[in-house]
Amino acid sequence: MSSRQVDTSGFGAYAGPVLCNDQGAFTFEIADHHLNGADRLHGGMMMTLAAIVLGAVAKETATEKTPGATVRPLSLNCDFVSAGEKGDTVEGRAEVTRATRTVLFISGELRAGTRMLMTATGVYAIGGAEKA
Amino acid sequence: MRQPLPSPVKVETPPGWKPSDLHDPFEAYVGPLFEREENGERIFGFIADERHVDETGIVHEGMLMTFADAFLGGAAHRGAGERSCVTLSLQASFLTEARAGDFIECRTRIDRTTRAIIFVSGRFSVGDEDVMTATSLWKVLGER
Repeated sequence: MSSRQVDTSGFGAYAGPVLCNDQGAFTFEIADHHLNGADRLHGGMMMTLAAIVLGAVAKETATEKTPGATVRPLSLNCDFVSAGEKGDTVEGRAEVTRATRTVLFISGELRAGTRMLMTATGVYAIGGAEKA
Repeated sequence: MRQPLPSPVKVETPPGWKPSDLHDPFEAYVGPLFEREENGERIFGFIADERHVDETGIVHEGMLMTFADAFLGGAAHRGAGERSCVTLSLQASFLTEARAGDFIECRTRIDRTTRAIIFVSGRFSVGDEDVMTATSLWKVLGER
């Protein structure tokens, strides 16, 4: 199965890399610099992963409808269900709950194997979408 | 106390601020972060650089939420009488965009403290403009 890196520049690349396969699954390996003082995956990194996964699904949804469309996060809610351990591979998924003309509701989760790490919901504004 | 961790880039400390002692590797990795006191209130800040922005030059929401996690967590820790706390939930609203070069400041507020749960909110601004608000829930470890 082929994988590509989601963000190749900026913070997504600096904090990542986060990979996405052609089935829409995102993966990320926890390294030493992603940890907190208790040797667990840092909460900020976990929310960064959620932001990358939900944002990628939002962008894909917007551009499928209108090529060149951009998305901007309005709100992101992250619930910390359990801790990520060093060496874990984190898998992320997200789906569209509802798409209006101007707003996308996205819901996603991060897991390590069968263990749920985080559930997240995001609201995104669709921009740059000239009317076809 | 352990030695604070170094950040990978050098950033000049703004006048009136001091570098925060960072003990979480990920916070050091995205840092340095700064703090100062104003009338007994602790204010936190960081200067956004090229590491922190997304592909369109806007400060990535993951960086803003990492900054929020670090300092709302610090406020929860102090609110819990210096006991360890873990994040249960954090919600962020992105009011407007911040860019590389912006100095982003964070002011925190303890909204409520129970034995086991601390409610903390934060306001994030660039100059006079708010860029993000956040509300969060923290669990005091060992309490129920």
